[in-house]
Amino acid sequence: MIHDFTYLKPSSLKEALTMLEEHKDDCKVICGGQSLLIIMRQGLLVTDYLIDIKHIKELDYIQFDAKAGLKIGATTTHHTIETSDVIKKNYPVLVAMENKLASIQVRNWGTIGGNLAHGDPSGDPASVLIALKANIKVGNAKGGRTLTLEDFCVDFFETALEEGEIVLEVQVPTPEAKTGATYQKFNLLESDQGMVAAAAAVTLNGGGKCKDVRVVLGNAGPKPVRIKRVEELLRGKGYDEKLFAEAGKIASEDCEPVTDIHASEEHRRHLLGVLTKRMLKQAWEQAKG
Amino acid sequence: MTTTSLATTKFTVINTHVHNIDGVAKVTGRATYTFDVKLPNMLYGKILRSPHPHAKILKIDYSKALEFPGVVGVVTGKEDTLGVKQGIWRRYQDLCDEQILPLDKVRYIGEPVAAVAALTEDIAEQALDLIEVDYEVLPAVYEPMDAIKKEAPEIHEGFERNINVTRHIEWGDVDEAFEEAEYIREDWFKVGGQHHVSMETRAAVSDYTPDGKLTIYHSNQSPYYLQALMAGVLGMREGDVRVISHYVGGAFGGKFELDGAIFCSAVLSKKLKRPVKIIYTREEDFIASKRRTPMFYYVRTGVKKDGTFLAREAKVFTNGGAYTGMGATALYLTGFFHSFPYRWRGYRYDGYRVYTNTLPSTSMRGFGAPQAMFTSEQQIEWIAADLGLDPIEMRRKNSHYPGYEVPGQARIESCGIDQCYDEIQKWIKEKGKLPENRAIGISACGFMTGGIFNWFDTPYAFSAAMVTINQDGTVELYVGAQDMGQGSNTTLAIICAETLGVKMEDIKLHASDTDHCPPDLGAWGSRQTLMTGNAVKMAAEDAKKQLLEFAYAHAHIVSKTGLNIVYDLDIKDRWVHNVARPERGVDYSELVKIALRGKEGQKIVGRGFYTPHRKGMISPAYSYMLQGVEVEIDEETGKIRLIDSLTAHDCGQPINHLGLIGQLEGAFSMAAGYGYLEYMPFEDGQLMNPNLVDYKMIRATEMPPTAVAEIDTYEPEGPYGAKEAGEGLTNPTAAAIGNAIFHRFGVQMKENPIRPEMILNALKEKKEQKKSGKKNK
Amino acid sequence: MEKQLLTLTVNGQPYELYINPKTLLVEVIRDHIGLTGTKRGCSTVSCGSCTVMLNGMAVKSCSILAMQAEGAQVTTIEGLEQTGELAPIQKAFIDHGAFQCGFCTSGMIMTAQALLDENPNPTEWEIREGIEGNICRCTGYNSIVRAIDATAKGNYKEV
Ligand SMILES: Cc1cc2nc3c(=O)[nH]c(=O)nc-3n(C[C@H](O)[C@H](O)[C@H](O)COP(=O)(O)OP(=O)(O)OC[C@H]3O[C@@H](n4cnc5c(N)ncnc54)[C@H](O)[C@@H]3O)c2cc1C
Ligand code: FES
Ligand code: FES
Repeated sequence: MIHDFTYLKPSSLKEALTMLEEHKDDCKVICGGQSLLIIMRQGLLVTDYLIDIKHIKELDYIQFDAKAGLKIGATTTHHTIETSDVIKKNYPVLVAMENKLASIQVRNWGTIGGNLAHGDPSGDPASVLIALKANIKVGNAKGGRTLTLEDFCVDFFETALEEGEIVLEVQVPTPEAKTGATYQKFNLLESDQGMVAAAAAVTLNGGGKCKDVRVVLGNAGPKPVRIKRVEELLRGKGYDEKLFAEAGKIASEDCEPVTDIHASEEHRRHLLGVLTKRMLKQAWEQAKG
Repeated sequence: MTTTSLATTKFTVINTHVHNIDGVAKVTGRATYTFDVKLPNMLYGKILRSPHPHAKILKIDYSKALEFPGVVGVVTGKEDTLGVKQGIWRRYQDLCDEQILPLDKVRYIGEPVAAVAALTEDIAEQALDLIEVDYEVLPAVYEPMDAIKKEAPEIHEGFERNINVTRHIEWGDVDEAFEEAEYIREDWFKVGGQHHVSMETRAAVSDYTPDGKLTIYHSNQSPYYLQALMAGVLGMREGDVRVISHYVGGAFGGKFELDGAIFCSAVLSKKLKRPVKIIYTREEDFIASKRRTPMFYYVRTGVKKDGTFLAREAKVFTNGGAYTGMGATALYLTGFFHSFPYRWRGYRYDGYRVYTNTLPSTSMRGFGAPQAMFTSEQQIEWIAADLGLDPIEMRRKNSHYPGYEVPGQARIESCGIDQCYDEIQKWIKEKGKLPENRAIGISACGFMTGGIFNWFDTPYAFSAAMVTINQDGTVELYVGAQDMGQGSNTTLAIICAETLGVKMEDIKLHASDTDHCPPDLGAWGSRQTLMTGNAVKMAAEDAKKQLLEFAYAHAHIVSKTGLNIVYDLDIKDRWVHNVARPERGVDYSELVKIALRGKEGQKIVGRGFYTPHRKGMISPAYSYMLQGVEVEIDEETGKIRLIDSLTAHDCGQPINHLGLIGQLEGAFSMAAGYGYLEYMPFEDGQLMNPNLVDYKMIRATEMPPTAVAEIDTYEPEGPYGAKEAGEGLTNPTAAAIGNAIFHRFGVQMKENPIRPEMILNALKEKKEQKKSGKKNK
Repeated sequence: MEKQLLTLTVNGQPYELYINPKTLLVEVIRDHIGLTGTKRGCSTVSCGSCTVMLNGMAVKSCSILAMQAEGAQVTTIEGLEQTGELAPIQKAFIDHGAFQCGFCTSGMIMTAQALLDENPNPTEWEIREGIEGNICRCTGYNSIVRAIDATAKGNYKEV
């Protein structure tokens, strides 16, 4: 049962931030509500005021500029992202990821801001976006700040958002030339949440050697897990399947997945290794063009 | 249809493209389920459930709940019920063990303890928190192998070692047959439970009125059972209880017993004299309904080197959960179908149903047979591999055939299993060489067409039907069958239209209301097409005969049909005609009017009933099938993907073509889920995934093509030669998936659902064995 | 709790309701307006039985506060028929036997309709992906896929 609350519907971002300031920890933001209403229904979250930002048009946009990169407003829905032409063209991995994020009904109404603010380590966008070196802009009535998405994700269902702050925008730099990025989750149902997931982004230099690389694992710990040892291992090296296998081994060691009814910790580690290996290989091949 | 083709066309309605007669209601949202029922002055009920797997109820104090604004009443077992121990096995009182609202002891987490009625659901839910229950927590036991130990806690008084039911089946000299065997193999299996997950959760609206009558809207698969059981627990006359179940959002074997929704809503309504509605949340439905029976299966099989089957012995320990439910039948049927579809010189089965402090297990589509097939059909595949024999040919030479008698158990009339082997062989051959990551697995099985058992102890015929004809020729068909989605309304209307010789649109079917329909055991064990179908056929034949009596006597019709002294008129497609000269005839509605006048204005009434006689112990008829499933398995991750399937299926004469395909496809999705997805893990008696996020089911993206090869047989006991279709199809798939994995990797999956981790572990084990094997050499 | 005013249009009919703001869209549709064709099958946004169209998009009405539908155009299963004539997708469901118990059917049809509105020529895989937010325990989905495909091919167009 959902507990009673007072529903507030600010008509602008400014008004929303003022309301947040006013109600402090007696309030909660709702955007698409796809995650929030489930936990409210379970009685896990009780709030006096619910501030609805879903309809705030100022935060519903996708902008792209080769220099400044991609900017996605917080209330942009998953489906808008998945059908955006500029994203299709410049960040195909985001479209592929969104395509398999839940069902069309959830993508039609759920938002990128809500997804990231929810802080679910099994969420898909965060790992991919961190692999793409994304930043996140947050703000409150007093002003805004930008931090890396990696720093934004703190713990199980916990982010760096401070009181009165909301997510405003996700920023993704334009990938360098010769960059490939891939993402895959392991699940038994096509668009189910991943038991585990891996994202990889590989940038090659003129000589076809690895110039830059990121591997980020989903549902492999309390927040997206960046495997820095793999990045060190690969930088400067050429295409080598043995290296990818080695990377997979490292990834399976450097994560902290849990055991639950769906999979044991050991199995998750194994899967993360396999996915890391596969994603690196695919990303590399993509980068080669 | 031209009149001349009438003589040559076998059927005008049966097995044609007939639409489901509830279609318009269901695709427009007009169909009203119990979930949708709203009565004037109605209250909403909620159930307080036990947080303990095993505890004595010492005291329940609900005074604070009663004071909560909007709460109208609270009931408990001790204060408001007769404390009747009920069950569906009414003939065996010791197996009637469930009070629904127990008086002094709870036996599983989620068991009802008290119920509240209030003005809204929210209020009722809040009031639950205000009820104080003092429990004395007792030691609990969750697995059958623990529960049969001497020192295990006693769950029900008087059941030694918690053994609830035992079943023994034996024929032939088993030990001698084993002695003759040249190859013997034994395996232990752990076969899983499964939840019905009907999309409409348990739901009831009870309306007890001051004249002492009770009307209940309830989502179930046998209104008559519910009527009788409710009368029993409330101390009322059956005739004063009316159960209405017009549209039912799925049942699958899980909805013909008393559940907390119907029981608590009725007890509340009787106390408060107001309608009370109780709808289970999905979580409640998971933790406090029932489930498919999990089983530990020991199988020992003896064969000759040439693959002749000689002896089989099986021992089964089932996790019965806290109460009997339909579990006793499942215990018998799993042992019986474990022998199917093969001939054994000696066969012995010992089944033990063990009480535990978990959610009770019961019947679910397939009724014990999916478990039996998962074990039997995999072991048979392994035996064929061990002996280097063709698994299809080995099965074929040991299979049932028409006229075969399962010793002391059943006589098989129609049996098309042999043709099933041909179809699957052809399919496999046509597929040619598969990609390396794929393999095909097969599984055979058979299933019953309704049960002969009368544990319910009904004095009525198993099925009955009535047909009346209106002056315009439209037909009222009354049956007690229950359509829960399987399409029985349509199938029965087809049989009625075909028999009477009218069109589908002439039939108005009345079912799902005990006040207006004859008693019928309802929809379980795949019984309705054959049993209710026979009753409908008999009723329609009766009505037709009465109509034709007027035709024979009426000069005008006699002249129109050119009838000579041979009494040989028939009606087909609304045309009353001379069988030898179908073009000569009169319109059916003309005859109806003549008959009505001839009977001084009384409608023609046709009556029919059916109870099986001299059909052995189990069932009047058996379906057969062989299924092939092509599976892709990722060697590194263990992920399974179903690529393709073919089911060769002998269900006798198909009656309802669209319905049959729907049954096949629906059963496949449920059975595939049982094979590799659906899984009910418990921790300390607590179900760990009581929601649709964590309980995974096949979705549209996971379904492979589901082709069917219909095998043409004729079952003499069935209406127009029909027999079971739908339930049996749940049996083969899990085993077929297991067999595909065996063929892909040579590993044996002895537990289901077969999850990726289990496949990888088996592969690892195999590799290690190989290594150590090499070393040893 | 103070009730708040909600105005929205359901199946072309405008409504003004005073509701507790925690009321879900599905509750407004079923309990306040009385259109019970829309069902509920879970409490975790998993099953899709509650799917309706909101401004033309398929959404799960159990996962949206009714207040968020302020000013919106909602279409439910009851709104698909035009002047007593079944919509092509409804005819296709009947003709292909794409339902059994019917409990998932309203949500399934609304999902299918929204899919076809957005993508009139879906591939089989796009159809499967399009309805994967909807659980059907009865049919095994293949008949539903065939019905949607046949509708897309124009087999059930109004004459
Ligand atoms: C059936 C189902 C399947 C799903 N499958 C997947 C999946 O496969 N992969 C995946 O990644 N996700 C999945 N999700 C989660 C889904 O992506 C998120 O629910 C959705 O994106 C959240 O967005 P929302 O707008 O609905 O957020 P809400 O539910 O409104 O909010 C979620 C949380 O974020 C807060 N919040 C919302 N917006 C902001 C903001 N701008 N600033 C600060 N805080 C904010 C809320 O207060 C709340 O705590 C699934 C959800 C469902 C229901
Ligand atoms: S009711 Fe299940 S998704 Fe809405
Ligand atoms: S038709 Fe029963 S759930 Fe789909």
